[in-house]
Amino acid sequence: MSTPSDDDLARTLVDVVTADPAVARLDAGLYGAVATLLPGGRLVGVRVDPDPARPVEVAVVLYLGAPIPTVVAGLRARLARVLGDRPVDLTVADVVAGPVDVQVEI
Amino acid sequence: MTSSTPVSTSAAATTTAATATGTAGSPARLAEETTQGKTTIAASVVQKIAGIAAREISGVHSMGGGISRTFGAIRERIPGGGTGASNIAGVQVEVGEKQAAVDLDIVVEYGASIVDLARAVRRNVITAVERMTGLEVIEVNIAVNDIHLPEEDDQPTPSPAAVPAPSRVE
Repeated sequence: MSTPSDDDLARTLVDVVTADPAVARLDAGLYGAVATLLPGGRLVGVRVDPDPARPVEVAVVLYLGAPIPTVVAGLRARLARVLGDRPVDLTVADVVAGPVDVQVEI
Repeated sequence: MTSSTPVSTSAAATTTAATATGTAGSPARLAEETTQGKTTIAASVVQKIAGIAAREISGVHSMGGGISRTFGAIRERIPGGGTGASNIAGVQVEVGEKQAAVDLDIVVEYGASIVDLARAVRRNVITAVERMTGLEVIEVNIAVNDIHLPEEDDQPTPSPAAVPAPSRVE
């Protein structure tokens, strides 16, 4: 059972993640299980475990360009501002051509 | 023979890289962030980066063997096959927590030295995947499945021979 505060946290995390310019979009993850079920829809790409000790799951699709470890470190820093010390399981599900670097998409 | 050089250097570099990246916030080792949670990079990410890096080398005409090119053409028509499906034709990867292995099927242009081409492709793929994902590439196996001849492009359009034809018909 997810509490309303968990749902609000999930909404906040979606905003935090999509604010990163290297993130193309959120993704449902490798098995489509990274999502938050809300009344009236589902938030894809963020799953807040009801147990506060368990990690928060986030799955993203990144733009090609910067090295992925650099982007991941920046993303973790953004998430840590909201989550504090709570661990985050981060999945890079896919990459797409960036908005400026169009020529790599063949 | 050519693959032994990058493998041995990267294997030797792991001991030194551990100390070098450890001070820099360890950007290269994704799976060791035990307290912060783990980072997973999907195989399709490595597949796309390796495919793009291989195509960057001039002399690579296309990717994929006969069967995998057929599957690639089919996969592009499947919804969810993705717009990037053309990037991953001829690329198979195996991705672990710290390492990746890449198998490539390529079609070369006639006139390129295949040994030089394979070396250049291998170097570019290793550089791109290691830089972009932080995974250590342990091997890149390259299979050259076909060679592309320049005149194969001319076959559908036999126009040079057909140009004098209208004068005869008149």
